[in-house]
Amino acid sequence: MPTLIKAAADGWAIASETESADIQWQAPEDWNSGDALLLTVDLEPLAEYAQAERIAIEFPAFNDGRALSLAVLLRTRLGYTGELRAVGAVHEDILHYMVRCGFDAMEIPDDRNVQIALELIRPYSNVYQGTVDNPEPSFRRMQRG
Amino acid sequence: MYRYDDFDRNFVAERVAHYRSQTERYLAGKLSDDEFLQLRLRNGLYVQRLAPMLRVAVPYGTLSAKQLRMLAHIARQYDRGYGHLSTRQNMQFNWPDLAEVPDILEDLATVEMHAIQTSGNCIRNVTTDEFAGAARDEHVDARPYCEIMRQWSTNHPEFDWLPRKFKIAVTGATTDRAAIAVHDIGLRAGLDAHGKVVFDVYVGGGLGRTPVIGSQIYSGLPVQHLLTYLESIMRVYNRYGRRDNKYKARIKILVRAMGAEAFKAKVEEDWQDIKDGPSTLLDAEVERMVAAFEPPAFEKLENDTDALDKLRFEHPEFGRWLKHNVKPHKQSGYAVVVLSTKVTGVPTGDVSDEQMDAVADWSERYSFSELRISHEQNFVLPHVPMQHLFNLWQAATAQDLATANVGLLTDIICCPGGDYCSLANAKSIPVAEAIQQRFDDVDYLYDLGDLDINISGCMNACGHHHVGHIGILGVDKKGQEFYQISLGGHSGHSGLPPSLGQIVGPSVAREEVTDVVAAIFEVYLQHRLEGEQFLSCFNRISIDPFKEKVYANAD
Repeated sequence: MPTLIKAAADGWAIASETESADIQWQAPEDWNSGDALLLTVDLEPLAEYAQAERIAIEFPAFNDGRALSLAVLLRTRLGYTGELRAVGAVHEDILHYMVRCGFDAMEIPDDRNVQIALELIRPYSNVYQGTVDNPEPSFRRMQRG
Repeated sequence: MYRYDDFDRNFVAERVAHYRSQTERYLAGKLSDDEFLQLRLRNGLYVQRLAPMLRVAVPYGTLSAKQLRMLAHIARQYDRGYGHLSTRQNMQFNWPDLAEVPDILEDLATVEMHAIQTSGNCIRNVTTDEFAGAARDEHVDARPYCEIMRQWSTNHPEFDWLPRKFKIAVTGATTDRAAIAVHDIGLRAGLDAHGKVVFDVYVGGGLGRTPVIGSQIYSGLPVQHLLTYLESIMRVYNRYGRRDNKYKARIKILVRAMGAEAFKAKVEEDWQDIKDGPSTLLDAEVERMVAAFEPPAFEKLENDTDALDKLRFEHPEFGRWLKHNVKPHKQSGYAVVVLSTKVTGVPTGDVSDEQMDAVADWSERYSFSELRISHEQNFVLPHVPMQHLFNLWQAATAQDLATANVGLLTDIICCPGGDYCSLANAKSIPVAEAIQQRFDDVDYLYDLGDLDINISGCMNACGHHHVGHIGILGVDKKGQEFYQISLGGHSGHSGLPPSLGQIVGPSVAREEVTDVVAAIFEVYLQHRLEGEQFLSCFNRISIDPFKEKVYANAD
């Protein structure tokens, strides 16, 4: 079973196993408002998804960037504020992009090292762009030059 | 030139540390070949036929003397004493050791350089006019906007894992020397009625196996909206671009499949949400960038043509160099100098550490320590006082960097081809060399006039063969190297709308290429009108007479 890591007030940590155990993920066709919703990367972000109990996006491959754009749209265009979880081919070297695009939970597959993953969540102390977790780009955030 | 602030310095230092840890994980067996491949590509490292190849970013082709000296040092210390100027204004090293690459990146960081996003399916180095800030026909110096886009695209959280590589080019001059029509995004900078900078936005141009001229989807985009509009284009591409077939994954395929109008509508729909949002550029940020590219402290100099005419008369070779390699400058008394690397017997774009050091010295002495790399794979000294042209010419001659052939037949654009590149179907360097050898008669070369020959070793088109007046493409025919020849292509820098070359006919063997080229010249020389250049002549008489001549003796 993959290991869930989550954003907490004092940083990122491994979540307890029970947190994932009882979730009934539904694909959009079976989903009702208030259920946990599992999205594939080719889907459109429909407005009603903002009512999901939680949302997971499945990475078909670690280097497929569609999940990142879908996450941004859920967070910004829809204003979704609940848990946004990365599942599927989650790779430790993509985590820092995920965080900046609005994911706040990731399932680390069994064949990856969770300790390395936790170390790679924020390899950069500063970034140029505005993103979901900090919408102001560097030129608004601080005095440049 | 733009200088890093603490923010940039910290970022690049952290990137080097990050890549060092990734390399260590790979060497320790914690990352597979395929996983590490994606990471090393985003740090400029390919593994080629013979050895790794490191592509160092030269943002929009602009370098300082100090930076070029560092590249010379890297060539000496980690390579075999030379580097290669690429058609995207970058520098490549062909023989670094994979384990030493983090050390090279650390050295580069000391002079505010890196190799970030010079390969991989991400936003690549933004390119522009190699004469930016100096050209007489310039309306807007594109470099400040290139730097804004460099920062925006560096380690972008959402757009670092695209369906395919992504190239942006900008021009701000009447003559488009950046070939914006054949880029994923092309930007033409101009001034609106109030003197404010605006951009015409083109998407979906490209070369490769499906060459396409880009479509305009916005006219007069105000500068403050530049990043949000680009973000919307990138988001539409990232979501809908094909990922099932790498040959159909570029944005041009998406734009063509949707139609430019529908693509534009999709972009506008996304843009409505983010337009005027926090990524909207602030005037202060634009001003900071413009200030970074303020013109150097030019002296008040006259255009001393009498002195030059005298030297021209005494030294006919200097006269030829002035005519072909020296370009008009916007400041009186100054000139733009192109240092040609195209010497018969040297692979196109290869420069030695000694030449790099020499060019760095000249840029300090004659050009405010500034220099450029052109997409034609030459060095450019952008701001040379005319009174120093003769001294510079003498020094450059001694370093084999003064061949008076810029824009002429022997100024060939050529990819590394089958000698180095694992993608190539055929060799390209020996073809370039055979052409340079066959047509070494100086008078003949000058008589032929402006002529771009572009050679690619495969249909990935790194040698831009589609936009060569004469394009040569290496193809594989049952395991044999053959070459397909096209005519009449150009990227818009002859004052005409850009066009793609037309194929003359069946491909030919390598030893026949120079004969075909000779036959093409014969047709041109026979048909041309007084003063008519090759491209104009081709457009007037069409491809037919060329076909007839080239295949006259075929069965």
